[in-house]
Order: sequence, then C-alpha cells, then structure tokens
Amino acid sequence: MLKLVDLVKAYRTEEVETTALNSVNIHVRDGEFVAIMGPSGCGKSSLLNIVGMLDTPSSGQYWFNGEEVSKYGERKLADIRKKNIGFIFQSFNLIDELTVFENVELALLYHDIPARERKERVKAALAKVNIGHRESHLPQQLSGGQQQRVAIARAVVAKPKMLLADEPTGNLDSANGDEVMRMLTELNAEGTTIVMVTHSMPHAQYATRIINLFDGQVVAENLRAA
Amino acid sequence: MLKNYLMVALRNLLKHKLYSAINVTGLAVGLATCVLILLFVRNETSYDRFFTDNDRIYQVAFKAQLPGRQVDHFAASMLPLAASMKVGLPEVEMTARVIQNSVVIKQGGESFSETARAVDPDFFRIFDFTFLRGDRMTALDDPNSIVLTESMARKYFKDQDPLGQTLDIDGSAPAKVTGVIPDMPSNTHFDLEIIRPYAAVAQAMRGIETNWGAVCCETYVRLKPGVDGKALSDRMPAWFKTTAPTLNSPTGNVVLGEIFTPRLRNLKDIHTDPVMTSMRPATSYAEIITFAAVAALVLAIASINFMNLATARATQRAREVSVRKVVGASRSQIIMQFIGESLLLTVIGLVLSIALVELALPAYSAFLDKKLSFNLFTDPLLGPALLGLALVVGVAGGAYPAFFLSGFNPARVLKGASSGVGGGSGRLRMALVVVQFAISISLMVATSVVYGQLLYAQNKNLGFEKENTLVLRGFPRSVEQARQQTLVEALAKLDGVVAAAGSSSTPGDGSENNTNVRLPGANPDQMLVLRQGGVDWDFVKALGLQLVAGREFDRNRPADQLPPLADPAQVPAGDTAARTYAGAVMINEAAVKRLGFASNEDAIGKQFEVGADDDGTNKLTIIGVVADFHFRSVHDPIPPALFVINRDRFSDVLVRLKPGNVQKTLVEIERVWRDMFPNRPLNREFLDDRIQAQYVREAKTSQMFAAFSGLAILIACLGLFGLASFTAERRTKEIGLRKVLGASVMDIVRLLVWQFSKPVLVANLIAWPVAWYFMDQWLNGFSFRIDLNPLLFVSAGAVALLIAWATVGLHAARVAQAKPVTALRYE
Repeated sequence: MLKLVDLVKAYRTEEVETTALNSVNIHVRDGEFVAIMGPSGCGKSSLLNIVGMLDTPSSGQYWFNGEEVSKYGERKLADIRKKNIGFIFQSFNLIDELTVFENVELALLYHDIPARERKERVKAALAKVNIGHRESHLPQQLSGGQQQRVAIARAVVAKPKMLLADEPTGNLDSANGDEVMRMLTELNAEGTTIVMVTHSMPHAQYATRIINLFDGQVVAENLRAA
Repeated sequence: MLKNYLMVALRNLLKHKLYSAINVTGLAVGLATCVLILLFVRNETSYDRFFTDNDRIYQVAFKAQLPGRQVDHFAASMLPLAASMKVGLPEVEMTARVIQNSVVIKQGGESFSETARAVDPDFFRIFDFTFLRGDRMTALDDPNSIVLTESMARKYFKDQDPLGQTLDIDGSAPAKVTGVIPDMPSNTHFDLEIIRPYAAVAQAMRGIETNWGAVCCETYVRLKPGVDGKALSDRMPAWFKTTAPTLNSPTGNVVLGEIFTPRLRNLKDIHTDPVMTSMRPATSYAEIITFAAVAALVLAIASINFMNLATARATQRAREVSVRKVVGASRSQIIMQFIGESLLLTVIGLVLSIALVELALPAYSAFLDKKLSFNLFTDPLLGPALLGLALVVGVAGGAYPAFFLSGFNPARVLKGASSGVGGGSGRLRMALVVVQFAISISLMVATSVVYGQLLYAQNKNLGFEKENTLVLRGFPRSVEQARQQTLVEALAKLDGVVAAAGSSSTPGDGSENNTNVRLPGANPDQMLVLRQGGVDWDFVKALGLQLVAGREFDRNRPADQLPPLADPAQVPAGDTAARTYAGAVMINEAAVKRLGFASNEDAIGKQFEVGADDDGTNKLTIIGVVADFHFRSVHDPIPPALFVINRDRFSDVLVRLKPGNVQKTLVEIERVWRDMFPNRPLNREFLDDRIQAQYVREAKTSQMFAAFSGLAILIACLGLFGLASFTAERRTKEIGLRKVLGASVMDIVRLLVWQFSKPVLVANLIAWPVAWYFMDQWLNGFSFRIDLNPLLFVSAGAVALLIAWATVGLHAARVAQAKPVTALRYE
C-alpha cells in the first residue's frame, strides 16, 4: 500500500531547524493494521500527515500504490487523498453547522456521487457505527463517543483503501475507546488498511504491527500475531 | 454540493448573528447608497438622448475672451449666426434659434407673466418632441401660432381641447394654439412651456437681427447624415473669424472673431458641459465622476468590512475548511464556496438595499427635483445591472477571504482545535481599517470644505444690500420714459421705501452689456471693454453700494445725464461733433484698475469715450467710484464696469425698502403699480431670494455629499464595531488575566480603544494630504474661495477618532466589566 524510503521532514524557522522525521523507512502492506507509538514530539503526527498527504516530506520517497507521490502538488495529492484515504482525528473535527447526516455526506460531496446513492451510503455508514438514529442531530448534541463514531462513519463512507487514525481514542473514556477500536478492527477485517497513531498500549494491541518512533526515527517494529 | 454550501452558509449566518447583521447592514446601506448615486448619475448622463437625431444635433457654444476679463463660456449666440452657418457650412442641414422673452398673457380678465420661447420653423423638425395634439411638422408655420406644454394648456384652457383656441399675448394679434406637447421631462436641457414662431418676435428683434455683437439666442443645428461633428466644430473658429465682421465704432474696432470662439456641442453633452446661460442648471462631468467615485468608495468600505470580518473570524471556519480538504475538496472548490458565500451575503444585502432604495426614492427624487425611476419590472437594464453590481461587490469582498481561508493547512488545524490559525493577518486587517477611515476622513474633509465654500459664497459681502431690496422685473421697455419716471418717483415717495431706481440690469439677472472704451490718446485698435449699466439717479442708494471716491449722480446737475440723441434728420452725415454727447459716469474699482488709474481718487475728473446708441460718441467724465460688487455668483470675478444715467434702457426697477413693515410697503407698491399698469401683472422678487437661488443647486450638491459621506462613515464604523467585538472575544482570556492581575475596567477599555485608535490616527496621515490636494484643486475653480484651514483637517480626524472610540469603547466596557472567572473559564 505504502512505502516510505529515507523520509525526512524538517521544519525550519528563522534560526532553528527541527527534524521531525529522520530517515524513516516504513512499508505498510494492503490490509495491514499498523499502530505507531512513541512519546510526544517523536514525529508521530508528522508521519501521519505525510502519509495522509496533508503535508509533503523534505526529502526521501513516498510510494503510494506504486506511485512516488512525494513531489506531487496539492491538487494531485488532494485527488489521491480523496479516492484512497479516510481520516479519523482525536478531536473528531465534525462541522458544528452540519447535522450528523450532513457531516458524513460531506465526504461524498466531492466524489460526483448522485444524491440518491449518497443518501444510501451515508445511512449504511451511520448504521454500521450504530448512530443512524441520531442522523439529524448536530454534533454538539452528541457525546464524545457518539461524535467519534460519526467521524468514523465519515472516514469510511467513501470506502477508502486506507484509514488514518490520529489518536482516535484520545478524547474518549475507556468504554467508548474500546468501542472505537472494535469498529476499526472490524473495518480492517473487511480489508481496509489502517495506520493509527496512539499513546495507548492497550489500544495499540488491536494492531497487527506496532512501530515505535523516537526522535523522528523508527526504533522498533513489533509484528503481532493477527 | 451547492445545497451543502448554501446550508453551511445560511447556518453560519444565523449562528453568528452580529457578524451577519454587520455585514448585511453594511452591504445593504452601501449598495443602496451606490444605487441612489448611480440613479442620479444615470439621470445626469441620459439628457436629451430621447431625441431621434441626437447624434446629429449640435448647439453652438462660445468661448468669450473680452480684453482684461477672464474667459467666459456660454451657450448663447448671435441672431445672424444661424443663417450664415446654413449658407457657409454645407454640412449644416437645418438650423433653429431659440429666443427667450417675457410675455403677458391675458385670459378671462386676468393677466399672467410668462416666459415664452420664440423658435425658428425648423425647431420642431430638428427636435422630435411628441405632439399630444397638433402636427409637429407644421405647428409653427403660421406666425400667429403657439405651442403649449400640457401644464400650460391646462392652465389656460382647463379641460377644453386647447387646439384651435387663442391666447392674447402682449396685446398683439391673438395666437392660435397649434400644438400641445408633454411637459419637459427632467432629463432634457430644454426648459420650454410656451413656444412661438420667430415671426412673433421678429419686430422686437429687428434692431439686433444683423448684430454680430449681440449675444441673445441659442442656435441649434442638425448636421447632414455622416458629417463628423467634431471635425466641423474644430473648423468653426476659423470660419467664424472670416464670417463675423469687425465692429467699427468711434471708440475703436472690435474684432469679434478674436473675442468669440465658437464650437459645436453635441446635444447629448449639453447637460454635462456647464456654461453660462443654460436653460436649466447643468452638471459637470467632474461632478458626476466625483459622485460615481463616492459610490465606489462607499462600496469599497462595505466590501472591506466583509473582508475584515470574514478573515477575522476565519478560526471559526478553519476546521470546516480543513475537514473539507481532508475529505478531498480542492483549494479551488473551497475558494468557490467562500466566494459563493460572499455572493449570498451580497444578494441578501442587495434585496435589503432595493427596499431601502424604494423607501428613499420619493424623498430623494423630490430633493433632486428629478423623476428618478427605479422599477425592476419595467426597466430591463436595472435587474442585470443590480446583479452585476452584487457580483462585483461579492467577488471583490469575498476573494481575499476565500483565498485566505482556503490556504489553511489541515494537518495543523485538525491536530489542535485551531492552532496555526491566527485569525488571519491582523496587520492586513488593520491596513484595511486604515483605508476605510482614510476614505471616511477624506470625505468628511471634502464635505466640510464644500459646505464652507458654499457658506462663504452665501454670506460673502456682495458689495450691495441684498436684504429688503426688491426688484420689479420685466419692466416694459416699450413704456415711454415719462411713465417710467413717474413710477420710480411714485415708488420713491412711499413711506416704507428708502430709494427707487431703474436699471438696465440687476445683480444675478444673468444679463450683461459690454462696451468698448477709449481713453484720450489711446490707439483705436486697443480694445478696452467695460461692462455697461444704464442706471437711474438713485441707483447707488437703491442698491446700497459703497461710494469710495467722488460723488453719486445728482439729479440737480442736469449735466450728469447724457443729452438726448441728435435727431438724425437734422444732423448731416459725417458730422461727428453733432453726435458727441457729454455726460457723467461712475465706475467700479475694477474699472479704476482696468483703465490704469493710480487710485480711486485719481480717476475722478478723468474722461473717456464710449459709443453712443446712434453710432456717435459719449464723452464721459468720471464723477464717482463705487466699491466692487458682485453682478454674478461670487464664484465669478467682478468685471470692470461703468454706469451712466440712461433711462431708455431700464428693464428693472430696484426698490430698497425700510426694514420693518415690509408687508405693508409691498401692498402699497402693488397698488402704485396697478394704478399705472392695470393690465400688466407685477413681477417682483427680493434680491436676497434671487441670490440665494443661485446657490440652491450647490447647496443640494453639498447636502448630497454630506449624506453620502455620513453613510460611508456609518458603514466604516459598523465594520470597526464588528472587529472590536471580535477582538474582545478573542482576547477574553487575556482580559480576564489582566483583571486578575489588577487591571481596572478603565485599563481594559483603554487597551482595546487604543488598539483601534492607531489605524484611525494613521488614516489621518493618508487622508489629510490627499484631501488637501483635491480640495485645493476644487477651490481653485472659484474666483473667490476660502482658504484651507488645517484645523478643519484636524477636526475631521478628531471626529473620526471620537466616532471610533464611541464604537469600540462601549463594547470594550461591556467586555471589561465581565467577571474574570468567566473569561478564564473560556476557551
């Protein structure tokens, strides 16, 4: 699915250059569930941003589905992202002005899908995360766990090949956190590749592989039994 | 997708009510202001376009440069010009002259004074006025025919069919109504009510029919199809030089071709080319462009509000933008979304502005004295024009926020709540506030200067008594001298009258008579032109002029008056001595300078010659000098002038009333008049009313300017209020902390108020020099002008600052009074 070769990401301010990722080499295969762990500031989010094509590397190669995308411009990256990647965030990032249904539908609006089909797919996605009964509510009327379920529905409704989750359970209590992990596992079982950044070792255990980052470098990779 | 955009936009509008209200109100007021100004501009630029051949119709206008005088531009020409053009310029197809004259119409035992126009037969062939009754092509063929406007026809014939009816005009042969035309629309330069054929006045014009020096009519020409009017106009001066004769007089030769320079002005341009002697007040292009610029500036201020508030509140949309990007929206899609939102807001503003325009239009039309139409259903251009306007404003106001908002880095935004989004560039926002206030302050200064100049003009000492001075107008020239004299004497005897005097012209009446003067021993080719007034014994008293040297005319000194002209039958040809008449003359200070005397006193006793009415010579001795006084608007320089006792030329009588029982005196004057002229209505006017009327249009322009400037400032303040409330909200935590650390409410208010004082102060630095430059240029157009007072600029700046303080301060005080704990809990 994706391959990072000698990937470097450096942030430069006027005086200081900070290397967030230093010669990272990672290979994620189709259908894998990879958890990325590490202390704060180790480069987890930088890595996820580059993998999610929200940011570009300073050097190195990023192969996605056999395509080297590290030099692509915003327009092309937006297109690949739209067709292949779904996102889940720690802070849910639902749009306050849109209802649950509309928030999920948003992910299909940029895909030229007819309204009728959109409606069916949104309803199916909401049903899948057990939030269908709240489709006309606004995000602020939902609990954190419910909001994250809506965010998952939004991430998967366009049927992405890969799902990127940035501390998806970080803002949730343990029960809701476990529920989210259960859903991710289900999605992975259905064939979706998942890359998840997390601080929680119990939740990392749901992954098939754990990559540990430290100071921008991969320091350990633990393959777990599926 | 569109539904989604619309929904998000509408929900955002409803959620942030203050922000939406400020934007929508600002846009609505801005658009309404703009539409009102543009309606005015459209009306001003639409004059006379309804005449079918407007492209081919021209009016002859002249530039006159009398020696020693400033250049004058006027629309009037000489009677022989039209016929000469038709003969000498093959491009000319038809010509028509228009001559204004006052008439008395008798109807049912009552007499009415009216202003009629006598026109050449081709007038209605050149100008295709709609004829409600009668036949346009033949209406004026009969010398005794008359064409009336609808209102005039109703005035004289009520509900009867006016066609074929007759009117008694000036007691001559009855004039038969041969046509009725609609009243003049507001967008024509013509001011016609009663139109007669030239034949009706031919007798009265006989004396000047061939006189190339008498400027007394308007001349219109229709050129043959395909003729280049501009090229012909360029050729006119050379043609005129060879056509207009040199006037030879005993006091020197007047080369008309050197004094007068003709040009052709296309019918469509007449209204936007102000010259003297227009039938209706014209509006210069500069003025129209100024108003259009004000419209653009007001819209710019409203658009800046939108830009500022949209970028300031960007944090609130950052997450939405980022999520849209994450799920695949391209930057251009997001730009389109935000420009769309801006358009939506503008369209809401437009709808409201249409309502505002509808509400304001009746009063606005009445104020401008124009029939302005604003009807979306009957005016096919209006709808598209308004939508076009909304599109321009929406895109102009929305483009920057759209580019700004679409540029968010989703990675950073989505990681935290809104980290990485500073609410847009605060510096740019402040720069835009500076622009808004620079515009507002400039407009404030401009308004004050325009008002200042107007007040100056209205209150300037004109050099004569305008209070309680009555002008009896249209004094019949035909009336024999004895009756004139009797009238003036009878009026002078009334208890409430200080003095009465006949005069050939009175201040502000627009007429002017000039004569060439020769000083003893001067070269006959040297032209020394003075304005000439035929006055009465008590002229100086009646007008309240100030005598600065010598003495007034004295009725006890018969030699002050010019003797009667010699009987041509008795004087052999070539006997110049018999046609030389001695008399006294008074001059003004400008004439003292023009004639080259060392001082006013030096002029006394000196002599010069002017032509007499019988081509003889008047040998005049200067007996007195009066202080300069304004014949025309104070905007024009005062010409050098001479005054002689010449009772033959009186057209008006000046009567200066004692203050106090003016009403009683008026009744007595009316009685005296009626006793002497029972069949002629008294046409009277107070001099101060006439003077005031000269400034009505300027006063209106100033008021319009003030109103639009006020609206501009209001819109700018709305924006400032929005920004202030946004800033206060953003700094809630900081405010709370400051309070915890001991800041008082006043400290907090000062903090916020100072933040918004800075752009206003900087705006002054831009506004002052710009306003100074433009207003100085504007004032230079006046002969008598006010000086630019730096205090005025400082005051405008101070007012802007006070308004800004009031706008921001109230809000700041409310925020500062909140309990710090509320603020600290925020986030």
